[in-house]
Amino acid sequence: MIALFVSGLLLHGLNLILPAWVRDSRRLNVAANLLNAAALLCGLVFSLSALLVYQRVEYRFELPAAGPVVIGFDGLSLFFLFTFQLLSLAGSLYAIGYLRHYIERGLSLRGHLWFFTLLILSLQLVAVAHNALVFLIVWELMAIGAYFSIVFDKDKEEVRRGGFWYFVATHASVLLLCVCFLTLHELTGSWNFDDFARHAAYDPKTLALVLLTGFAGFGIKAGFMPFHVWLPNAHPAAPAHVSGLLSAINIKTGIYGIARLMMILPALDAAYGWGLLAVSLISAVLGVWYALAQHDIKKLLAYHSVENIGIIGLGLSIAWLGRRYGLPELVVLGFAGALLHTLNHAIFKGLLFFGAGNVYWQAHSGDIEKMGGFARVIPLTAVAFLVGAISICGLPPFNGFVSEFLIYKSFFRAGDLLRGYAPLVLLFSAVGLAFMGGLAVACFTKLYGIVFLGANRSGAAPSRQREPLLSSVALLGLAGLCAVIGIFPQTGLRLIAPALGELASTAQAPAGWASPLGQLQMVFALFLALVAAVYVGKFWLQRRAGVRLRETWGCGYAAVTPRMQYTASGFAEELVKLGRPMLALTVHWKPLLSIVPIASGFRSHCHDRMENSWLALNHAIGRLLGAFRWIQSGNIRHYVLYTFGAVLFYLLCALVW
Amino acid sequence: MVNPDPLSWLAWALFLASAPLLAGIVNKLKARLSGRFGPAVFQPYSELLRLARKETVYSTSAGFISRLAPVIVWSTVAFATLLLPLGRPAAVSFSGDIILFAYLLALGRFFQILAALDVASSFEGMGASREARFAVFAEPIFFFTIGSLAIVTRQYSFETILAGISWGDPLFVVFVSVGMLSLFFLMMAECSRMPVDDPNTHLELTMIHEVMILDASGFDLMLYQYAASLKLLLYATLAALLLNPFGVLGPALGLLVFGATLVALAAALALIETLMARFRLVLVPQFLLFATAIGVLNILIFTFSRQP
Repeated sequence: MIALFVSGLLLHGLNLILPAWVRDSRRLNVAANLLNAAALLCGLVFSLSALLVYQRVEYRFELPAAGPVVIGFDGLSLFFLFTFQLLSLAGSLYAIGYLRHYIERGLSLRGHLWFFTLLILSLQLVAVAHNALVFLIVWELMAIGAYFSIVFDKDKEEVRRGGFWYFVATHASVLLLCVCFLTLHELTGSWNFDDFARHAAYDPKTLALVLLTGFAGFGIKAGFMPFHVWLPNAHPAAPAHVSGLLSAINIKTGIYGIARLMMILPALDAAYGWGLLAVSLISAVLGVWYALAQHDIKKLLAYHSVENIGIIGLGLSIAWLGRRYGLPELVVLGFAGALLHTLNHAIFKGLLFFGAGNVYWQAHSGDIEKMGGFARVIPLTAVAFLVGAISICGLPPFNGFVSEFLIYKSFFRAGDLLRGYAPLVLLFSAVGLAFMGGLAVACFTKLYGIVFLGANRSGAAPSRQREPLLSSVALLGLAGLCAVIGIFPQTGLRLIAPALGELASTAQAPAGWASPLGQLQMVFALFLALVAAVYVGKFWLQRRAGVRLRETWGCGYAAVTPRMQYTASGFAEELVKLGRPMLALTVHWKPLLSIVPIASGFRSHCHDRMENSWLALNHAIGRLLGAFRWIQSGNIRHYVLYTFGAVLFYLLCALVW
Repeated sequence: MVNPDPLSWLAWALFLASAPLLAGIVNKLKARLSGRFGPAVFQPYSELLRLARKETVYSTSAGFISRLAPVIVWSTVAFATLLLPLGRPAAVSFSGDIILFAYLLALGRFFQILAALDVASSFEGMGASREARFAVFAEPIFFFTIGSLAIVTRQYSFETILAGISWGDPLFVVFVSVGMLSLFFLMMAECSRMPVDDPNTHLELTMIHEVMILDASGFDLMLYQYAASLKLLLYATLAALLLNPFGVLGPALGLLVFGATLVALAAALALIETLMARFRLVLVPQFLLFATAIGVLNILIFTFSRQP
């Protein structure tokens, strides 16, 4: 079986030398992406069959400096490998249709596809490298692949800016991870994750260093608040197939890292669990609130990733608390909720970003205020996007509901099992989850309603466009997966079962911990039957009574224009205003004051306070260091003097000691 | 899971059939309180029947959402009632069905808002925006009220939570009265009743629910109106079931107390609607936050009464 995985990697490798032969961008686009897709299909067959017929496999070989290197296929690695491959496959198929627009603009794809392949390849390696040194190397390769994939359209200033945000964030992340893994190496004398796990004598202080740097490093990658600032900057900058992969799977490497750390390190202190709970809750609520205030489709989706990362973090924090207090049921529930939401979010967020890409090419901008009525222009995208929107709000019968259900259940069980003020905190967390559910509904009805429904606000009435076949296959395939995991939750549970099986707690957890998820399909089938029956009844009655088409009722006003529709900012205005303390809203308004019409207008923009704080911190550091700028005089004689001074200093040191 | 007992399903069908009656009772009481004679209590049935037979007019801007939404809105409310034990064990019940209940209603709301945005009308956009905004504050009320009862009773389905309510424990008297109060507030908000929304007004600028369905007609409008009266009965029933009438008093007397509670809730609603005016829309979130604060009381009482 492993041969399939290796051949997948080799096919990716082949793809890395492909641009040398195929020079025509159009052919290269099809060839490279299909080659990637074939490689990923091989990989998917491997990881899926390994998950279904699970047996833990490890491959060891010697590398100079790194010592024995372990490439491990345990439950967690396989699950993340599967998620990465699935979305990369969808992304590769989608890219074929999407990149055509760039080819028409005359951009060369050779470099881009090379780095895109590198990104996909290194993502898979990140999931299976169980040696910290190798892990850090492939982690960096992934960062490089992602960076150059983002800055594809590098002639645009905002693309370079967005790419730079990513670059800075990913380096801050790897710096912290280096501290984390070097400390672990110092303690255990090994680079392998297994040896970290086997090491029993962690003292609380060292453990705190490891955990804080590890959580912060992986947290930056995952996009927990306040480290989320790179997401809303980098996602809009990247082309849609890349931003889909960034949001669906690249940030999930951070979740993988946190989950891995939780598996190998002991949970000695409950404070980390409560801390993670607080950070996750803040990320989730504020993430969706910021999303609500955005007018740019990709920026909005990027903030939604922050929300979903928060939801995943909620599950992980319950798992941590369960480990700390020795409550196996909580460990399993929290972990299962987090992992399943990781997969679900990957599926629907990939779908939404790919859909946003199709919208982008119709509107030639990401500004949703100018959109409307795209359900008539790109109907397949509209249907798939609707499924994604319902799923991301956690509404039944799609997959978002299943994972949020598990997290709710973990909250309620924890409220029951934990003592003291815990029930209070956990009920507030559950209500927080419900609150962000309400905000998510507001946000996605806004997005879907403004973009796909109504009439086009830019005045044009675009006609139906042809949607590229393979892109539509990718979109509808992902939408189908949302439905399958939603209606048959046991399929999702089956995929995470190996990862859960490796937790010591699973064996001790009560047998029905996942109930009633295994049987929910009966309920959903009943619900869908009811919907179908009512629909058929309506269809039949309407055919008898007759159906007519008329223009929308304008309360007697005849000169209705599409610009009179509610805008995205108008729709969300009141909710955004309520978030004022957290959201910095600037409004440029030139009101109509005279009776003679003059040029007037309204523009509003929401700033991220945390982004502003990071920038302010950056400026403060810059100013502080600016105080030493006189050292850099630019005069060569001064530099010679510095060198002389340094040599003199060392000589004196040598003389004294 | 799915209960094969035909009586449970019969109770559900009866529930569906009796929903317009409660709306009729509220209307009748309101009319009497303001000195009018008012329409018959069965008037809503005639209206629904009339709408069902009418021709449907769709906006030229409307797409598949407008055609699908009424079905989803009605089905979600109807399906949500399956989860309630209406005298018999609930037709569908499982651990965690309280979450499905809230999310089903949210799914209905999702489609209701989308249908309003589908017809490219500024009025309906206005209603959609308001509905989305107030729903954000309504959702926590439900979770605080039912969620705290879930934590208190250590049960996660309506059937077992409601069965776990006992009148012997003085704490439960507090829990139940607080829960009923916050559910009543929730009913006023979710069913577009008076201090939040005026169901009788026909001025588009001030409405929430009615303005979202301005362009619906015929069978679609019937489904929306039917779903609205179902929702009213649904929340009233949930509040009445907190008394656990069937569990404590047995089927016959329970049914009597249950019916009396429903009528009492309808009377309270009619009284409030007669005495009060609609709030200014900016005040509605404050009203809802007040209701949330009531809902929080239960879990606070529970936590602090359990402290050593």
